[in-house]
Amino acid sequence: MNTEKIRQDFPILKKGIYLDTACMSLKPTQVINKINEYYNEYPSCGGRSIHKLGMKVDKEVTEARNQIKKFIGAKDSKQIIFTKNATEAINLVANSFKFNKVLTTDREHNSNLLPWQEKNHEVIKSKEDFTFDLELFQEKVKDFDLISFVHTSNLDGYTLPIKEIIKIAHENNTKVFLDAAQSIPHKEINVKKLDIDFLAFSGHKMLGPTGTGVLYAKEELLNEMKPFIKGGETVYDSTYTEHKIEKLPAKFEAGLQNYAGIIGLGEAAKYLKKIGMEDIKDHEIKLVKAIDTEGIKKVGYNGERGIFNFIIPNLNAHEIASILNSSKDIMIRSGMHCVHSWYNANKIEPSARASFYIYNTMEEVKILNEELEKIKRMVN
Amino acid sequence: MICLLTFIVFGVLGIFSASHRELAKEAFQCVFRRTTFRKCDSGTDIKVKGKIVGTLMKKSPKSAKIVHNHFEFISWIFTILFLVSLVYSGFSAYNLIVHDNCVGPDADPEQCIFTPSETVVDCGDPLCDDEGHCQECGDDCDCNDCE
Repeated sequence: MNTEKIRQDFPILKKGIYLDTACMSLKPTQVINKINEYYNEYPSCGGRSIHKLGMKVDKEVTEARNQIKKFIGAKDSKQIIFTKNATEAINLVANSFKFNKVLTTDREHNSNLLPWQEKNHEVIKSKEDFTFDLELFQEKVKDFDLISFVHTSNLDGYTLPIKEIIKIAHENNTKVFLDAAQSIPHKEINVKKLDIDFLAFSGHKMLGPTGTGVLYAKEELLNEMKPFIKGGETVYDSTYTEHKIEKLPAKFEAGLQNYAGIIGLGEAAKYLKKIGMEDIKDHEIKLVKAIDTEGIKKVGYNGERGIFNFIIPNLNAHEIASILNSSKDIMIRSGMHCVHSWYNANKIEPSARASFYIYNTMEEVKILNEELEKIKRMVN
Repeated sequence: MICLLTFIVFGVLGIFSASHRELAKEAFQCVFRRTTFRKCDSGTDIKVKGKIVGTLMKKSPKSAKIVHNHFEFISWIFTILFLVSLVYSGFSAYNLIVHDNCVGPDADPEQCIFTPSETVVDCGDPLCDDEGHCQECGDDCDCNDCE
């Protein structure tokens, strides 16, 4: 993976050191140009109008859907439902499918916790070292008809042993919903090989535009689900009193869609596939390993990961982020990272988080180390 | 107590800009909590402190350390200075409107560099002639005899 060559596709990088990809990734010029192309050359309705601009939109959206299908190894494009983000995808399933009992981990983003809290919901605790407790899971899983787990946690970059989890779940007739918002941009996921039932991810974390996301599910499950939002394009006919629901994927894509975003997302998937997903994770792990952690308290999982979550004793996390931003334009996140439940349960103060991606370099880690060193000296 | 300064600054800017109004609201929440002896929870004080310390760290890590360690004390000093200068500015503005000078009804016009209705030449010693009159005065001049 040629980081220097990749960085040329991101002119925004001259504004500073961006270490907040876990919140939002930067966008390469290829994706931005594709979005601009929609607005400049064919800003029209898709799926409705049969004039040349409308047909062009249909063609590009179909191509984008196909790119996503290839990106995640799905069987058919109609299993790819475009949403606003992973949050909407998860809520769509939570509100469209009847589950009796749902299990989540103890480190879920609010987006994969809150939709389930009103259902019959339980949480499985991690081990002392913040890794997944496979033995405990094996005992509990038979009581649940759905497990909805975060694949890679935005909290600390820990990745669950998903192959084993899916195997155990399916042996117990339990469906698996994977929140892949933090994993899809960083590693290859093949939904067919893993036999995933539901998968959700956001476009904005994988170089795609904001306002885009994907729900993937097995076709029989999508056919079982009733549309959560109904409107234009979700029906092929209606009267004053009834309507006839469209086939997949239109059934779940109500109203005019974010065509520019969808087309941009397709381009982002194409861009990542061209780079090759195998090297991305290794690159991030190498960068995190290079951080000087002396005098810094690590938060969460401490093994190989692409996210560095930390606290500097006697210093507020927001202050760390503010100082790094003012001193050397280093952009990190601070707070509870939308995983309030984990912080509250473990009684941990809000922390600072640096997350890495394809455009970050060892030089940037060196500068981060220097600034953290200055901050540590200032506090001690 | 930096929130008070932040509130006033953003409050004034907020007259012209919606985004600054939101910042002013945050700063006000902070001021309200601090004046009721509670910790600020809007984060305004931390963001401002971080910005100042971070900017200083670029030029002088030693100064950044001093400011960081004594930030509360320093911000109280600046807040008091600001309030005192605000009070004095208020008096001056009142005098200007009511008495046409910034000092008050018994003011020596020469004490005031600027009065809107008159232009007074500052007659310092070097500008007095042998007879004790201001050398710089012309027909429009209204300066008194030099001491």
